Amino acid sequence: MNIPADLLAKIDEVITHYPVSKRSASLPLLHLWQERFGFISDEAISWIAAKLELSPINVLELVTFYPMFRRQPAGATHIRICRTLSCALAGAYELRKKVAAAAGIDLVKFEEEQKRTVVHGHPHNPGHGNPIAVSPDGKFSMEFVECLASCGTAPVAMVNDNFKESISLEKAADLLNVTTSDATLPKVLPPHPREKRIVFKNIDVAGYTPDIDCYVRNGGYEQLKKALTMKPEEIVDEVKKSGLRGRGGAGFPCGVKWGFIKRGGPKPTYLICNADESEPGTFKDRYIIHQDPHQLIEGMIISCFAVGANLAYIYIRGEFPEGARILENALNEAWSRGLLGSNILGSGFGLNIWVHRGAGAYICGEETGLIESLEGKRAYPRIKPPYFPAVLGLYQCPTIVNNVETLCDVKHILAMGGGAEYAKLGKPNNTGTRILCVSGDVQKPGYYEIEVGSMTFGELLNDVCGGPKPGRKFKAVIPGGSSAKVLRFGERFKLKDRELGVDDIPLDFDTLAACGSMAGSGGVMVMDDSRNMVESLNNLNEFYAHESCGQCTPCREGAQWMRKITDRIIAGGGTDKDPATLKNVADNIAGKTICAFGEACSWPVQSFLAKFPEEFAVKSVKPLPPPMPPEYNAEELSKTPKIEAVAAPRGNSQETMAEAATR
Amino acid sequence: MSAAATTTPVQMVNVQIDGVWMQFPKGTRVIEACKQAAKLIPHYCYHPKLTSPGNCRMCLIEMGTPKMTPDRKPVIGADGKPEIAWIPRPQISCAQDVSEGMGVRTNSPMVQECRKGVMEFLLINHPLDCPICDQAGECKLQEFSVEHGNANSRFLERKVKKPKSVELGPRVTLDAERCILCTRCIRFMQEVAKDDVLGIVDRGSFNSIACHPDRKLDHNYSLNTVDICPVGALTSTDFRFKMRVWFLKETPTIDVNCGTGSNITIGTRENRIYRITPRDNDAVNGPWLPDSHRLNFKFVADPKRLTAPEVRPQLGESKPGWQQAINLAAEALKKNSGKVAILASGRATNEELFLVSRLASALKASVVDILPRTGEADGMLIAADRNPNTTGAKLLGVATGKLAEIANGIRSGSITALLVFGEDATNAGLTADDLAELDALVAMDILPSATTDKAHVVLPSSAWCEKRGSMINLKNRIQRLNKAVIAPGSARDDWEILRDLIFAISGSNGLHSIEDVFKAMASATPTLAGLTLSRIGDLGVDLNNRELPSAGHVVPPTLPTL
Repeated sequence: MNIPADLLAKIDEVITHYPVSKRSASLPLLHLWQERFGFISDEAISWIAAKLELSPINVLELVTFYPMFRRQPAGATHIRICRTLSCALAGAYELRKKVAAAAGIDLVKFEEEQKRTVVHGHPHNPGHGNPIAVSPDGKFSMEFVECLASCGTAPVAMVNDNFKESISLEKAADLLNVTTSDATLPKVLPPHPREKRIVFKNIDVAGYTPDIDCYVRNGGYEQLKKALTMKPEEIVDEVKKSGLRGRGGAGFPCGVKWGFIKRGGPKPTYLICNADESEPGTFKDRYIIHQDPHQLIEGMIISCFAVGANLAYIYIRGEFPEGARILENALNEAWSRGLLGSNILGSGFGLNIWVHRGAGAYICGEETGLIESLEGKRAYPRIKPPYFPAVLGLYQCPTIVNNVETLCDVKHILAMGGGAEYAKLGKPNNTGTRILCVSGDVQKPGYYEIEVGSMTFGELLNDVCGGPKPGRKFKAVIPGGSSAKVLRFGERFKLKDRELGVDDIPLDFDTLAACGSMAGSGGVMVMDDSRNMVESLNNLNEFYAHESCGQCTPCREGAQWMRKITDRIIAGGGTDKDPATLKNVADNIAGKTICAFGEACSWPVQSFLAKFPEEFAVKSVKPLPPPMPPEYNAEELSKTPKIEAVAAPRGNSQETMAEAATR
Repeated sequence: MSAAATTTPVQMVNVQIDGVWMQFPKGTRVIEACKQAAKLIPHYCYHPKLTSPGNCRMCLIEMGTPKMTPDRKPVIGADGKPEIAWIPRPQISCAQDVSEGMGVRTNSPMVQECRKGVMEFLLINHPLDCPICDQAGECKLQEFSVEHGNANSRFLERKVKKPKSVELGPRVTLDAERCILCTRCIRFMQEVAKDDVLGIVDRGSFNSIACHPDRKLDHNYSLNTVDICPVGALTSTDFRFKMRVWFLKETPTIDVNCGTGSNITIGTRENRIYRITPRDNDAVNGPWLPDSHRLNFKFVADPKRLTAPEVRPQLGESKPGWQQAINLAAEALKKNSGKVAILASGRATNEELFLVSRLASALKASVVDILPRTGEADGMLIAADRNPNTTGAKLLGVATGKLAEIANGIRSGSITALLVFGEDATNAGLTADDLAELDALVAMDILPSATTDKAHVVLPSSAWCEKRGSMINLKNRIQRLNKAVIAPGSARDDWEILRDLIFAISGSNGLHSIEDVFKAMASATPTLAGLTLSRIGDLGVDLNNRELPSAGHVVPPTLPTL
C-alpha cells in the first residue's frame, strides 16, 4: 500500500498526540484517511490496524460503529441533512426530497434497493446513512444524519465540511453548489435586555474574532495568570463555593466532581473537555468553539491546574470539522505565547491539550462512552461502579470530564473574584448563568444566556423568543434537550408550596426537576398546535434507535422496538394495545441500563404518552392482531433475497438440510 | 469456583440475602455470594473466568447498603441487625463485591419485573428456530424463558436481519441472529486466548459478532467460545446439526492427549461419540479445552479398528477365540522367559501399567519401558509431554528410560520376545526387520500398525473412552477414566487381557474387577495408599497434598458454571 508522504507525515504526527496509547489514534487516522481517499477501504482497515499495532477487527469495529465513516465512495459533493426533531419541524424531510430531486437521486428507487442490499455479508437494515445515496453521475451523494447541533437555525445541513443553516426550502438546490460555510458567519445579534451575558459575552459581537490577539485585547488569559498564583486546592474550593453545576445535562456539582480526584497518587490525572455537543435541541457549545475558542482554552488550563492534570483532550464532535480546526489554531497560538507547554508562564506547571474528533456518535456525549472512544474503541459506556472516571477514567487513571460551558464558567468564577461572588448569580443550588437554546415553533429561536431562575418559561418563550408563530398556540415544550420529559401547555404542577403551569416554571435546575422533567443541557424545543405528537415522538424514537450503542440489552432491543411501534402507528397500523406496550417497553428500559441513555430514550416515550394520550389513542385503534405487513405475505417472503454469509460458502455437504432450514 | 486456600485469615463480611444474614469472604462477587447461598441469579454475560461487562442486565437485583446516622454510624434495627437503605434502582450483581452490611434481594417484585423485561428484549429479535438449533436443550435463553419469561409475545414488528451460517473460523460457525451480544466469546479471545480476533460490527440493534476476513477465528482454543456461548449463536462446525443434545449420554472422564489430563465430558448416543466438551476443574483445566484435543476422537469409530484376536498361521488358527489367543500368546512369551521385553504405553492407565509390571516379573522380562511422546507446550493446557500418564508409569516403575535396550537386545539376541502394549514398536527405534527377528511378538492395540502387521498374536483392546481406570497427570493429580462407549466387536478391556495373560503364565491372581486391580495397586504403592477408584471422585485427588479421605467421605457436588 502506497501512502503519500504528506499523509504519512500527518499520520505519524497525530499518533504523537497520544503518548499513552497508540490505539487512541484510531479515529484520527480514519478521519485523515477518509479526507484523503473519500472512504475507508478494506485495505485501509488493515493498514491502519498494522500501523497502530492492532488487530484488524479493532478497526473494523470502529468503522461500522461511527456513522461518519463510509465504506463506499461518496459523490464529489456529499450532503448531510439533519433529520432530528427541530430540523424535521422546520422541513428537513421536504428538504431531503428537494435536494434529491435537484441532484438527480431517485429516493424511492434507492430505498427499494437499500432493502435488498447486503454490505459485507450484513443485510441492510431499515434506517438511514449506510449505504448513502449517490447520484447516477457520481457528482452528488446525500444522507440523513442525526442532530448537527444548530437547532436554532433549522433546517441545517453539511455540504462536505461546509455547514449551512437556515436553509430555505425554495432554494434547496443551492446546496449542490456550496463553497462557503455558515459556521463562522459573523451575525451581529444584540443580546435581549433580560439576558445576562457572561460566557456568551463575545458571541456574535461586531468585530470579535477567534484569534488570540482579539481575546487578549478583551482581557483574555488574565484569569489564568491569577490562577497560577493560587494553590490548586484554592481554585477547587472557589469552584465548590460557586455552586457551579455541570452544564452538559446531568447538573452534577463541578467542585464536588473535582474533589473526587485524589492528589499525589501514583497515576496521572487527565482532563477531558466534552465538546461532543449532541443532545438534540442543544447548540450552545458550537458558538463558543467557533467564535471564542480561547475562552474555553483558558478555562481548561485553569481547570487542569486545579485538578493537577498535565494532559488534556478536547473531544469535539465529528460534525464540527471547522470547530476542530479553529481549536487547533487557537491551541497553537496559546502554545506560541507560552500558555501551554512544559512551563506555563514560568509557573512550573506544564500542560498539553490536544483536539480529538469524534465521528458522529451521540453516545460519546456520555462521559465513560467518550473515554472509551478516546481510547480508540467503540463508545460503549462503562459500568459504574467500578469505572467512575474520577478513579478509573481515561487509561484507567483519574479523569475529569467537563462540558465546554462548565469549563468556561471556571474562568468567570475567578474573574468575578471567587465562588462566593459567582454564587450570587442565580438562586441557591442553581447558581450562575445558563445558555438556553430555543428551537422549534417560536418566533425567535436561538441562544439566550440568562441568570439561572431569573425568568419563567412563559417569559422566555413569549417575551424573549417572541411567542408562537402567527395564528398558532404553544402545545408542548421539551425543556432540557430531547431526553427531558415533555411538558404540555395547560398542565398544572403541584409542588410542595405552590401550583404552577408551564408558563410559571422558573428556569432553574430544581423546579424543573420538581415538575417531573429536567433542565438538562438547556435545549428548549417548542411545538405548537400544528404538530402531531405521535410524529414528533417517532422522530425522537428514530434518533434514539439510531444512536443506541447496542451494548446492553434493554436499550439495544427496546429503543429499536419503540421506534418500530411508532413507525407502524404513524403508517396507519396502530393497534389498541400499542400505547400500553410502548409505555411498558419504556418502563423496562429506564433505570435498567448501563448508562443514562436508557432514561434518555424512554423519558420521551413515557412523557409523550402520559401527556398526550388522546393523540396516541386516535391512531391506535385497530384490534389485535393487526393486518400483516406486506413483507410477511407468502408472495413477498419468496421475493426476499437470500442472505449471504460474510465468508465463502462452506463445503460440508452434510449440512445442506440444516442450512436450508436456517436461511 | 472455590476460593484458594490461603494462610492469612480471610476477612469475612456480613451480607443479608433475601432476609437472611450470612458471611462471605471479602472479595466475593455478589452473584457468587448468592450462588453460595443457593440463590442462583440468572445471567448471560457474566462468566467467573472473564471480566464483567455488565451488558446483559439479566442479573439485576435489589441492593442496599447499611443505613447510616448523620454521624456515619450504622442504624441498628429492632432485631439487633443493621438496617438497610435500599437503592431505588436495580443493580447488577456480577460486577460488585460484597461489602459489610450489604443487603440483597434476589426475588423481589422489582427483580422479577427486571428479569421479565430483559427476557422479552432478548427474545423479540431472536429467531424461533429452536427445533433445529444445536443449543436447544442446553440454552440459557430457553431455561430462563421458562423461569422468568412471558407466556405471550407482543412483538408485532419485523425482526432484525443479521448474517447467518458465518464461518468465523475453521471450527466455529456463527448465527448472528441468535446472538444476544453478551461478548463472552470476545472476552475469552482477548483475555484467555490472547488473540483479539473477535469484535462487534455495526451499531445498536444491528450489532453483530464478527471477525475481520484477514484474521479468522482459527485459534486452537476457538471451540471454547462455543462452550461459553449461552445461546445457539456460536456452534461447533463439527457437531453442528449432528445430534439433539438431550439424546447425548454424558460421561465424565479425562482427556488423554497430553500430560495435563484436562477434565472432559464425552457426549455419546447409541455407542457413538458426538462431541467432547471441557468439564470444569479448577485444579486442572478450569472450564477450557484445546480444540485439537477435543476433536481427536474420530479414530475411536475408525472402521479399521481391531475387533477380534488374530494369530499368525504358523502358531495355529488364524481366527482363534480369546482363550486360544491368550494361551498362544502366553505360551510364546513364556518360552522366551528371561529374554522378554515389554514396550508399554504412557497412554495406559495405572491399573494396566500395574498389571504390566506384574506380567514383567512373571516373564522375568529384561526390559520394560514406555514410549516417550513429546511436542511443544502451548503455554496454556497442552503439555510438552503428550503422554497422559507418564507420572503413573514412573510411579509404577514402568517408565525406565531403557527403551534403547530393546532394539539393542533384539539385535544382539538377548531379547527374543516382545510384548507391545498400545504402541507401534516402529516408533520406538525398532525396524520391521528387528520385529521379524523375534521368536514371539505379541501386540495389544486398537488399530492396525506396522507392529500388529508383524505380530504373532494380536489382542484387540479398548480406547481410552471405552474403559475405566486412573491416570496421574503431570501435576501429580490422580484422575479417573470412565467408560463412555463399548469397544467394537470382541475387543476387550486392556486390564482383562493383561490379567488373563498373567493367569495363563503364572496362575490366578485373584483380580476380578478393575476395583480389585486398583486395590492391589494401592496396597503395593505407598503413594496411593488408602485410595480407591471411587474415592478419586470426578475431580481427582492431588497426590502431593492429600488428606486421606475417611470412609464414607462425600465429595460435595459443585454447582455448574452457567
